[in-house]
Amino acid sequence: MIQAFVALANSLVDQFDVVDLLDGLTADCAHLLEVDAAGLLLADRRGVLHVVAASSERTRNLELFQLQREQGPCLDCYHTGQAVAVADLREEHGRWPRFATAAVDAGFVAVHALPMRLRDSVLGTLGLFSARVGVLSDDDLNLGQALAHVASVALVHQRAAADRGAVNEQLQAALVSRVVLEQAKGFLAQRGGLDTDEAFRRLRRYARDHNARLTHVARSVVSRELPAQRVLDYSAARHRRVAEP
Amino acid sequence: MDGAAFSVVRDGASAGTFGSSGALSRRLDDFQFTLGEGPCLDAAQQGQPVLVADLTRSDEDRWPAFARAMAETGVRAVFALPVTVAGSRVGALDLFRHAPGTLGERSLAGGLLAARLAVLPLLDLITGDTDWAAAAEGRAGPPELASLERVEVYQATGMIMARLDVGPEDALVRLRACAFARKLTASEAAWKIVEGELQMDVDSSWYLADGGTGPSS
Repeated sequence: MIQAFVALANSLVDQFDVVDLLDGLTADCAHLLEVDAAGLLLADRRGVLHVVAASSERTRNLELFQLQREQGPCLDCYHTGQAVAVADLREEHGRWPRFATAAVDAGFVAVHALPMRLRDSVLGTLGLFSARVGVLSDDDLNLGQALAHVASVALVHQRAAADRGAVNEQLQAALVSRVVLEQAKGFLAQRGGLDTDEAFRRLRRYARDHNARLTHVARSVVSRELPAQRVLDYSAARHRRVAEP
Repeated sequence: MDGAAFSVVRDGASAGTFGSSGALSRRLDDFQFTLGEGPCLDAAQQGQPVLVADLTRSDEDRWPAFARAMAETGVRAVFALPVTVAGSRVGALDLFRHAPGTLGERSLAGGLLAARLAVLPLLDLITGDTDWAAAAEGRAGPPELASLERVEVYQATGMIMARLDVGPEDALVRLRACAFARKLTASEAAWKIVEGELQMDVDSSWYLADGGTGPSS
Protein backbone atom coordinates (compact mmCIF):
# COMPACT_ATOMS: atom_id res chain seq x y z
CA MET A 1 0.00 0.00 0.00
CA ILE A 2 2.80 2.38 0.90
CA GLN A 3 4.36 1.71 -2.47
CA ALA A 4 1.16 2.71 -4.19
CA PHE A 5 1.09 6.05 -2.40
CA VAL A 6 4.80 6.66 -2.93
CA ALA A 7 4.41 6.04 -6.66
CA LEU A 8 1.45 8.37 -6.69
CA ALA A 9 3.19 11.11 -4.72
CA ASN A 10 6.19 10.93 -7.05
CA SER A 11 4.04 11.18 -10.13
CA LEU A 12 2.20 14.17 -8.72
CA VAL A 13 5.46 16.00 -8.16
CA ASP A 14 6.86 15.20 -11.59
CA GLN A 15 5.04 16.02 -14.76
CA PHE A 16 2.50 13.28 -15.20
CA ASP A 17 0.00 11.86 -17.61
CA VAL A 18 -3.50 11.79 -16.16
CA VAL A 19 -4.74 8.73 -18.02
CA ASP A 20 -1.61 6.72 -17.24
CA LEU A 21 -1.70 7.77 -13.60
CA LEU A 22 -5.35 6.86 -13.15
CA ASP A 23 -4.85 3.54 -14.92
CA GLY A 24 -2.10 2.79 -12.40
CA LEU A 25 -4.29 3.94 -9.55
CA THR A 26 -7.19 1.68 -10.50
CA ALA A 27 -4.79 -1.26 -10.88
CA ASP A 28 -3.40 -0.56 -7.37
CA CYS A 29 -6.92 -0.27 -6.07
CA ALA A 30 -7.96 -3.63 -7.45
CA HIS A 31 -4.81 -5.19 -6.00
CA LEU A 32 -4.94 -3.54 -2.55
CA LEU A 33 -8.64 -4.07 -1.97
CA GLU A 34 -8.55 -7.55 -3.48
CA VAL A 35 -11.31 -6.84 -5.94
CA ASP A 36 -11.28 -8.28 -9.45
CA ALA A 37 -11.77 -5.10 -11.41
CA ALA A 38 -11.69 -1.39 -10.67
CA GLY A 39 -12.70 1.46 -12.95
CA LEU A 40 -12.91 5.23 -12.77
CA LEU A 41 -15.88 6.94 -14.34
CA LEU A 42 -15.79 10.64 -14.93
CA ALA A 43 -18.79 12.84 -15.71
CA ASP A 44 -18.66 15.27 -18.62
CA ARG A 45 -20.36 18.66 -18.66
CA ARG A 46 -23.76 17.11 -19.21
CA GLY A 47 -23.39 14.59 -16.42
CA VAL A 48 -22.78 11.64 -18.77
CA LEU A 49 -20.31 9.13 -17.29
CA HIS A 50 -17.25 8.06 -19.29
CA VAL A 51 -14.61 5.44 -18.50
CA VAL A 52 -11.36 7.27 -17.91
CA ALA A 53 -9.31 4.44 -16.41
CA ALA A 54 -9.63 0.77 -15.54
CA SER A 55 -7.54 -1.95 -13.94
CA SER A 56 -8.17 -4.15 -16.95
CA GLU A 57 -8.02 -2.80 -20.49
CA ARG A 58 -10.13 -5.61 -21.91
CA THR A 59 -12.77 -3.98 -24.05
CA ARG A 60 -15.51 -6.13 -22.51
CA ASN A 61 -14.58 -4.97 -19.02
CA LEU A 62 -14.50 -1.35 -20.12
CA GLU A 63 -17.96 -1.91 -21.55
CA LEU A 64 -19.24 -3.10 -18.18
CA PHE A 65 -18.19 0.17 -16.57
CA GLN A 66 -19.53 2.14 -19.49
CA LEU A 67 -22.89 0.40 -19.22
CA GLN A 68 -23.50 2.30 -15.99
CA ARG A 69 -24.08 5.38 -18.04
CA GLU A 70 -27.71 4.23 -18.13
CA GLN A 71 -28.10 2.40 -14.83
CA GLY A 72 -26.08 0.85 -12.03
CA PRO A 73 -24.39 1.56 -8.70
CA CYS A 74 -21.86 4.00 -10.19
CA LEU A 75 -24.59 6.15 -11.71
CA ASP A 76 -26.53 6.14 -8.42
CA CYS A 77 -23.37 7.02 -6.52
CA TYR A 78 -22.67 9.89 -8.92
CA HIS A 79 -26.18 11.30 -8.50
CA THR A 80 -26.35 11.01 -4.71
CA GLY A 81 -22.68 11.59 -3.87
CA GLN A 82 -22.97 8.62 -1.48
CA ALA A 83 -21.12 5.31 -1.57
CA VAL A 84 -23.12 2.33 -2.80
CA ALA A 85 -22.32 -1.21 -1.60
CA VAL A 86 -23.92 -4.31 -3.07
CA ALA A 87 -23.07 -7.68 -1.51
CA ASP A 88 -24.81 -9.79 -4.14
CA LEU A 89 -25.93 -8.41 -7.48
CA ARG A 90 -28.14 -11.41 -8.14
CA GLU A 91 -30.54 -9.99 -5.57
CA GLU A 92 -30.59 -6.59 -7.25
CA HIS A 93 -32.15 -7.42 -10.61
CA GLY A 94 -35.12 -5.23 -9.81
CA ARG A 95 -32.89 -2.26 -9.07
CA TRP A 96 -30.65 -2.39 -12.17
CA PRO A 97 -31.99 -5.09 -14.51
CA ARG A 98 -29.61 -4.56 -17.44
CA PHE A 99 -26.51 -3.83 -15.43
CA ALA A 100 -26.99 -6.68 -12.93
CA THR A 101 -27.46 -9.20 -15.74
CA ALA A 102 -24.39 -8.02 -17.65
CA ALA A 103 -22.17 -7.92 -14.54
CA VAL A 104 -23.23 -11.38 -13.36
CA ASP A 105 -22.69 -12.76 -16.89
CA ALA A 106 -19.17 -11.34 -16.77
CA GLY A 107 -18.54 -13.15 -13.49
CA PHE A 108 -18.97 -10.31 -10.98
CA VAL A 109 -21.41 -10.51 -8.07
CA ALA A 110 -20.37 -7.83 -5.53
CA VAL A 111 -20.04 -4.17 -6.49
CA HIS A 112 -19.00 -1.00 -4.69
CA ALA A 113 -19.17 2.55 -5.98
CA LEU A 114 -17.31 5.35 -4.20
CA PRO A 115 -17.78 9.04 -5.04
CA MET A 116 -14.92 11.21 -6.35
CA ARG A 117 -15.59 14.58 -4.83
CA LEU A 118 -14.12 18.03 -5.11
CA ARG A 119 -15.52 20.32 -2.47
CA ASP A 120 -19.30 20.23 -2.98
CA SER A 121 -19.42 18.68 -6.43
CA VAL A 122 -19.17 15.05 -7.50
CA LEU A 123 -16.73 14.56 -10.41
CA GLY A 124 -17.34 10.86 -10.96
CA THR A 125 -17.09 7.51 -9.22
CA LEU A 126 -14.69 4.68 -8.50
CA GLY A 127 -16.31 1.32 -9.24
CA LEU A 128 -15.03 -1.88 -7.64
CA PHE A 129 -16.19 -5.27 -8.95
CA SER A 130 -15.67 -8.54 -7.17
CA ALA A 131 -16.32 -12.16 -8.11
CA ARG A 132 -17.04 -13.08 -4.48
CA VAL A 133 -20.22 -12.31 -2.54
CA GLY A 134 -19.95 -9.79 0.29
CA VAL A 135 -19.19 -6.15 1.07
CA LEU A 136 -15.74 -4.77 1.81
CA SER A 137 -14.59 -4.13 5.37
CA ASP A 138 -14.71 -0.56 6.69
CA ASP A 139 -10.92 -0.36 6.53
CA ASP A 140 -10.91 -1.35 2.90
CA LEU A 141 -13.70 1.05 2.11
CA ASN A 142 -11.81 3.89 3.77
CA LEU A 143 -8.70 3.03 1.79
CA GLY A 144 -10.73 2.90 -1.42
CA GLN A 145 -12.29 6.25 -0.63
CA ALA A 146 -8.84 7.73 0.07
CA LEU A 147 -7.65 6.50 -3.34
CA ALA A 148 -10.76 8.03 -4.94
CA HIS A 149 -9.93 11.35 -3.26
CA VAL A 150 -6.39 11.17 -4.55
CA ALA A 151 -7.74 10.53 -8.05
CA SER A 152 -9.83 13.71 -7.73
CA VAL A 153 -6.78 15.68 -6.68
CA ALA A 154 -4.77 14.22 -9.55
CA LEU A 155 -7.47 15.18 -12.02
CA VAL A 156 -7.83 18.70 -10.77
CA HIS A 157 -4.13 19.26 -10.45
CA GLN A 158 -4.00 22.94 -11.17
CA ARG A 159 -3.42 24.64 -7.85
CA ALA A 160 -5.69 27.52 -8.67
CA ALA A 161 -8.54 25.45 -10.03
CA ALA A 162 -10.85 27.65 -8.03
CA ASP A 163 -13.60 28.11 -10.54
CA ARG A 164 -15.85 25.52 -12.05
CA GLY A 165 -14.68 26.40 -15.56
CA ALA A 166 -11.08 25.43 -14.89
CA VAL A 167 -12.16 22.17 -13.29
CA ASN A 168 -14.40 21.37 -16.25
CA GLU A 169 -11.55 22.08 -18.63
CA GLN A 170 -9.28 19.60 -16.87
CA LEU A 171 -11.92 16.90 -16.73
CA GLN A 172 -12.65 17.45 -20.41
CA ALA A 173 -8.95 17.14 -21.24
CA ALA A 174 -8.79 13.81 -19.39
CA LEU A 175 -11.79 12.54 -21.35
CA VAL A 176 -10.33 13.58 -24.69
CA SER A 177 -7.05 11.88 -23.76
CA ARG A 178 -8.99 8.70 -23.17
CA VAL A 179 -10.63 8.94 -26.61
CA VAL A 180 -7.21 9.28 -28.27
CA LEU A 181 -5.87 6.36 -26.24
CA GLU A 182 -8.73 4.14 -27.46
CA GLN A 183 -8.11 5.23 -31.06
CA ALA A 184 -4.41 4.42 -30.71
CA LYS A 185 -5.25 0.98 -29.32
CA GLY A 186 -7.45 0.32 -32.36
CA PHE A 187 -4.81 1.72 -34.69
CA LEU A 188 -2.06 -0.54 -33.34
CA ALA A 189 -4.37 -3.55 -33.13
CA GLN A 190 -5.20 -3.17 -36.81
CA ARG A 191 -1.61 -2.66 -37.95
CA GLY A 192 -0.18 -5.44 -35.83
CA GLY A 193 -3.01 -7.96 -36.09
CA LEU A 194 -3.36 -7.90 -32.28
CA ASP A 195 -6.26 -7.64 -29.88
CA THR A 196 -6.76 -4.21 -28.32
CA ASP A 197 -5.57 -5.44 -24.93
CA GLU A 198 -2.18 -6.43 -26.32
CA ALA A 199 -2.07 -3.24 -28.38
CA PHE A 200 -2.42 -1.27 -25.16
CA ARG A 201 0.37 -3.24 -23.47
CA ARG A 202 2.75 -2.44 -26.32
CA LEU A 203 1.79 1.19 -26.34
CA ARG A 204 2.40 1.48 -22.62
CA ARG A 205 5.68 -0.41 -22.77
CA TYR A 206 6.94 1.90 -25.51
CA ALA A 207 5.88 5.00 -23.54
CA ARG A 208 7.49 3.84 -20.29
CA ASP A 209 10.77 2.74 -21.85
CA HIS A 210 11.02 6.03 -23.72
CA ASN A 211 10.06 8.03 -20.66
CA ALA A 212 7.20 9.56 -22.63
CA ARG A 213 3.66 10.27 -21.61
CA LEU A 214 1.17 7.60 -22.61
CA THR A 215 -1.24 10.19 -23.99
CA HIS A 216 1.54 11.81 -26.00
CA VAL A 217 2.59 8.52 -27.59
CA ALA A 218 -1.05 7.65 -28.33
CA ARG A 219 -1.55 11.02 -30.01
CA SER A 220 1.64 10.63 -32.05
CA VAL A 221 0.54 7.20 -33.28
CA VAL A 222 -2.89 8.44 -34.30
CA SER A 223 -1.45 11.47 -36.07
CA ARG A 224 1.21 9.26 -37.78
CA GLU A 225 4.07 11.34 -36.39
CA LEU A 226 5.28 8.15 -34.76
CA PRO A 227 5.13 5.16 -37.13
CA ALA A 228 2.90 2.44 -35.64
CA GLN A 229 5.39 -0.17 -36.80
CA ARG A 230 8.09 1.31 -34.57
CA VAL A 231 5.91 0.88 -31.49
CA LEU A 232 4.93 -2.63 -32.54
CA ASP A 233 8.47 -3.75 -33.40
CA TYR A 234 10.01 -2.24 -30.29
CA SER A 235 7.65 -3.97 -27.91
CA ALA A 236 7.54 -7.19 -29.89
CA ALA A 237 11.29 -7.56 -29.46
CA ARG A 238 10.90 -7.30 -25.69
CA HIS A 239 7.72 -9.29 -25.74
CA ARG A 240 9.31 -12.45 -27.15
CA ARG A 241 10.73 -13.32 -23.76
CA VAL A 242 7.19 -13.58 -22.41
CA ALA A 243 4.70 -16.21 -23.55
CA GLU A 244 2.42 -15.18 -26.39
CA PRO A 245 -1.19 -14.53 -25.33
CA MET B 1 -31.63 34.04 -29.29
CA ASP B 2 -31.85 36.00 -32.49
CA GLY B 3 -29.77 33.67 -34.59
CA ALA B 4 -27.67 30.54 -34.67
CA ALA B 5 -25.09 29.18 -37.10
CA PHE B 6 -22.84 26.21 -37.25
CA SER B 7 -19.38 26.45 -38.77
CA VAL B 8 -16.75 23.91 -39.64
CA VAL B 9 -13.22 24.96 -38.79
CA ARG B 10 -10.18 23.34 -40.37
CA ASP B 11 -6.59 24.17 -39.55
CA GLY B 12 -7.61 27.23 -37.60
CA ALA B 13 -9.58 28.84 -40.42
CA SER B 14 -13.31 28.76 -40.91
CA ALA B 15 -14.14 26.42 -43.77
CA GLY B 16 -17.58 27.88 -44.09
CA THR B 17 -20.99 27.99 -42.51
CA PHE B 18 -23.12 24.89 -42.61
CA GLY B 19 -26.61 25.47 -41.45
CA SER B 20 -27.88 28.70 -40.03
CA SER B 21 -31.17 29.89 -38.66
CA GLY B 22 -31.53 32.70 -41.18
CA ALA B 23 -29.89 35.22 -43.44
CA LEU B 24 -28.61 37.29 -40.52
CA SER B 25 -26.89 34.35 -38.82
CA ARG B 26 -25.32 33.29 -42.05
CA ARG B 27 -24.01 36.76 -42.63
CA LEU B 28 -22.65 37.05 -39.09
CA ASP B 29 -20.87 33.78 -39.41
CA ASP B 30 -19.51 34.72 -42.80
CA PHE B 31 -17.81 37.66 -41.13
CA GLN B 32 -15.61 35.29 -39.16
CA PHE B 33 -14.75 33.45 -42.34
CA THR B 34 -13.93 36.68 -44.14
CA LEU B 35 -12.15 38.41 -41.29
CA GLY B 36 -10.34 35.34 -40.00
CA GLU B 37 -11.19 36.11 -36.40
CA GLY B 38 -14.08 35.74 -33.99
CA PRO B 39 -15.37 33.79 -31.01
CA CYS B 40 -16.39 30.83 -33.18
CA LEU B 41 -12.85 30.26 -34.42
CA ASP B 42 -11.50 30.58 -30.89
CA ALA B 43 -14.08 28.16 -29.48
CA ALA B 44 -13.28 25.60 -32.16
CA GLN B 45 -9.54 25.92 -31.68
CA GLN B 46 -9.56 25.83 -27.88
CA GLY B 47 -12.35 23.31 -27.52
CA GLN B 48 -13.91 25.61 -24.93
CA PRO B 49 -17.07 27.70 -25.00
CA VAL B 50 -16.41 31.39 -25.67
CA LEU B 51 -19.16 33.50 -24.14
CA VAL B 52 -19.31 37.21 -24.91
CA ALA B 53 -22.04 39.06 -23.02
CA ASP B 54 -21.37 42.41 -24.71
CA LEU B 55 -19.19 42.96 -27.76
CA THR B 56 -19.30 46.74 -27.35
CA ARG B 57 -17.66 46.80 -23.92
CA SER B 58 -14.52 48.89 -23.94
CA ASP B 59 -12.38 46.12 -22.45
CA GLU B 60 -13.49 43.67 -25.14
CA ASP B 61 -10.57 43.83 -27.57
CA ARG B 62 -10.13 40.23 -28.67
CA TRP B 63 -11.63 40.56 -32.15
CA PRO B 64 -11.54 44.23 -33.24
CA ALA B 65 -12.60 43.69 -36.86
CA PHE B 66 -15.30 41.19 -36.00
CA ALA B 67 -16.72 43.41 -33.23
CA ARG B 68 -16.90 46.37 -35.59
CA ALA B 69 -18.77 44.33 -38.18
CA MET B 70 -21.16 43.04 -35.50
CA ALA B 71 -21.89 46.53 -34.26
CA GLU B 72 -23.28 47.44 -37.67
CA THR B 73 -25.78 44.58 -37.50
CA GLY B 74 -26.89 45.46 -33.98
CA VAL B 75 -25.73 42.17 -32.45
CA ARG B 76 -24.30 42.65 -28.96
CA ALA B 77 -23.93 39.14 -27.48
CA VAL B 78 -22.25 36.11 -29.06
CA PHE B 79 -21.94 32.63 -27.55
CA ALA B 80 -19.71 30.13 -29.35
CA LEU B 81 -19.80 26.47 -28.32
CA PRO B 82 -17.24 23.96 -29.61
CA VAL B 83 -18.28 20.89 -31.59
CA THR B 84 -16.08 17.79 -31.46
CA VAL B 85 -16.14 14.55 -33.42
CA ALA B 86 -14.32 11.52 -32.03
CA GLY B 87 -12.14 13.77 -29.91
CA SER B 88 -11.26 16.14 -32.76
CA ARG B 89 -12.38 19.73 -32.69
CA VAL B 90 -14.23 20.30 -35.91
CA GLY B 91 -16.18 23.50 -35.51
CA ALA B 92 -18.46 25.58 -33.37
CA LEU B 93 -22.08 26.46 -32.88
CA ASP B 94 -22.60 30.20 -32.68
CA LEU B 95 -25.56 31.84 -30.97
CA PHE B 96 -26.23 35.53 -31.61
CA ARG B 97 -28.39 37.96 -29.67
CA HIS B 98 -29.22 41.65 -30.09
CA ALA B 99 -29.62 42.24 -26.36
CA PRO B 100 -26.44 42.18 -24.28
CA GLY B 101 -26.20 39.90 -21.27
CA THR B 102 -24.87 36.57 -20.11
CA LEU B 103 -26.16 33.18 -21.11
CA GLY B 104 -28.13 31.48 -18.32
CA GLU B 105 -27.12 28.10 -16.97
CA ARG B 106 -30.07 26.41 -18.68
CA SER B 107 -29.48 28.09 -22.02
CA LEU B 108 -25.83 27.10 -21.86
CA ALA B 109 -26.74 23.47 -21.16
CA GLY B 110 -29.24 23.58 -24.03
CA GLY B 111 -26.65 25.14 -26.30
CA LEU B 112 -24.06 22.51 -25.44
CA LEU B 113 -26.57 19.80 -26.25
CA ALA B 114 -27.34 21.48 -29.56
CA ALA B 115 -23.60 21.66 -30.28
CA ARG B 116 -23.41 17.92 -29.78
CA LEU B 117 -26.43 17.23 -31.95
CA ALA B 118 -24.78 19.29 -34.67
CA VAL B 119 -22.25 16.47 -35.02
CA LEU B 120 -24.75 14.14 -36.67
CA PRO B 121 -25.66 16.24 -39.70
CA LEU B 122 -22.02 17.27 -39.86
CA LEU B 123 -21.01 13.66 -40.36
CA ASP B 124 -23.51 13.40 -43.18
CA LEU B 125 -22.06 16.54 -44.62
CA ILE B 126 -18.62 14.98 -44.79
CA THR B 127 -20.10 12.11 -46.79
CA GLY B 128 -22.07 14.59 -48.87
CA ASP B 129 -25.58 13.35 -48.25
CA THR B 130 -26.84 15.92 -45.81
CA ASP B 131 -30.51 15.76 -45.06
CA TRP B 132 -31.14 18.94 -43.13
CA ALA B 133 -34.88 18.43 -43.17
CA ALA B 134 -34.52 15.11 -41.34
CA ALA B 135 -32.09 16.61 -38.85
CA ALA B 136 -34.47 19.47 -38.16
CA GLU B 137 -37.30 17.04 -37.50
CA GLY B 138 -35.12 15.40 -34.89
CA ARG B 139 -34.85 12.04 -36.60
CA ALA B 140 -31.13 11.94 -35.89
CA GLY B 141 -31.71 12.05 -32.16
CA PRO B 142 -29.75 11.36 -28.99
CA PRO B 143 -29.84 7.53 -29.18
CA GLU B 144 -27.47 7.53 -32.12
CA LEU B 145 -25.36 10.13 -30.42
CA ALA B 146 -25.02 7.96 -27.32
CA SER B 147 -24.02 5.07 -29.54
CA LEU B 148 -21.17 7.14 -31.01
CA GLU B 149 -19.70 7.97 -27.61
CA ARG B 150 -18.37 4.62 -26.58
CA VAL B 151 -15.06 2.88 -26.02
CA GLU B 152 -15.60 0.34 -28.80
CA VAL B 153 -16.48 3.12 -31.26
CA TYR B 154 -13.20 4.91 -30.51
CA GLN B 155 -11.26 1.66 -30.92
CA ALA B 156 -13.01 0.76 -34.17
CA THR B 157 -12.38 4.29 -35.42
CA GLY B 158 -8.66 3.80 -34.73
CA MET B 159 -8.72 0.52 -36.65
CA ILE B 160 -10.37 2.12 -39.67
CA MET B 161 -7.86 4.97 -39.52
CA ALA B 162 -5.00 2.47 -39.69
CA ARG B 163 -6.62 0.37 -42.41
CA LEU B 164 -7.57 3.17 -44.78
CA ASP B 165 -5.04 5.77 -43.73
CA VAL B 166 -7.69 8.41 -42.97
CA GLY B 167 -8.33 10.81 -40.09
CA PRO B 168 -10.73 10.25 -37.16
CA GLU B 169 -13.60 12.19 -38.75
CA ASP B 170 -13.45 10.20 -41.99
CA ALA B 171 -13.11 6.96 -40.06
CA LEU B 172 -16.21 7.76 -38.03
CA VAL B 173 -18.17 8.50 -41.18
CA ARG B 174 -17.16 5.11 -42.61
CA LEU B 175 -18.14 3.39 -39.40
CA ARG B 176 -21.55 5.05 -39.53
CA ALA B 177 -21.97 4.13 -43.18
CA CYS B 178 -21.12 0.52 -42.37
CA ALA B 179 -23.59 0.51 -39.48
CA PHE B 180 -26.29 2.10 -41.61
CA ALA B 181 -25.85 -0.42 -44.44
CA ARG B 182 -26.20 -3.31 -41.99
CA LYS B 183 -29.00 -1.77 -39.94
CA LEU B 184 -26.81 -1.69 -36.85
CA THR B 185 -26.07 1.06 -34.35
CA ALA B 186 -22.58 2.53 -34.49
CA SER B 187 -21.80 0.70 -31.26
CA GLU B 188 -22.93 -2.67 -32.64
CA ALA B 189 -20.92 -2.21 -35.83
CA ALA B 190 -17.91 -1.17 -33.75
CA TRP B 191 -18.07 -4.37 -31.70
CA LYS B 192 -18.04 -6.45 -34.89
CA ILE B 193 -15.00 -4.56 -36.12
CA VAL B 194 -13.11 -4.72 -32.80
CA GLU B 195 -13.76 -8.44 -32.51
CA GLY B 196 -12.69 -9.07 -36.10
CA GLU B 197 -16.10 -10.25 -37.29
CA LEU B 198 -16.25 -7.44 -39.80
CA GLN B 199 -13.20 -6.44 -41.77
CA MET B 200 -12.56 -3.79 -44.31
CA ASP B 201 -10.94 -4.01 -47.72
CA VAL B 202 -8.59 -1.28 -48.86
CA ASP B 203 -11.27 -0.24 -51.33
CA SER B 204 -13.32 0.38 -48.15
CA SER B 205 -15.91 -2.33 -48.68
CA TRP B 206 -16.73 -4.42 -45.62
CA TYR B 207 -16.78 -8.17 -45.57
CA LEU B 208 -17.44 -10.81 -42.93
CA ALA B 209 -14.35 -12.55 -41.66
CA ASP B 210 -14.38 -16.25 -42.55
CA GLY B 211 -13.29 -18.88 -40.10
CA GLY B 212 -12.23 -16.36 -37.48
CA THR B 213 -8.90 -15.40 -39.03
CA GLY B 214 -7.21 -12.38 -37.54
CA PRO B 215 -7.03 -9.01 -39.24
CA SER B 216 -4.80 -9.06 -42.29
CA SER B 217 -2.88 -5.94 -43.07
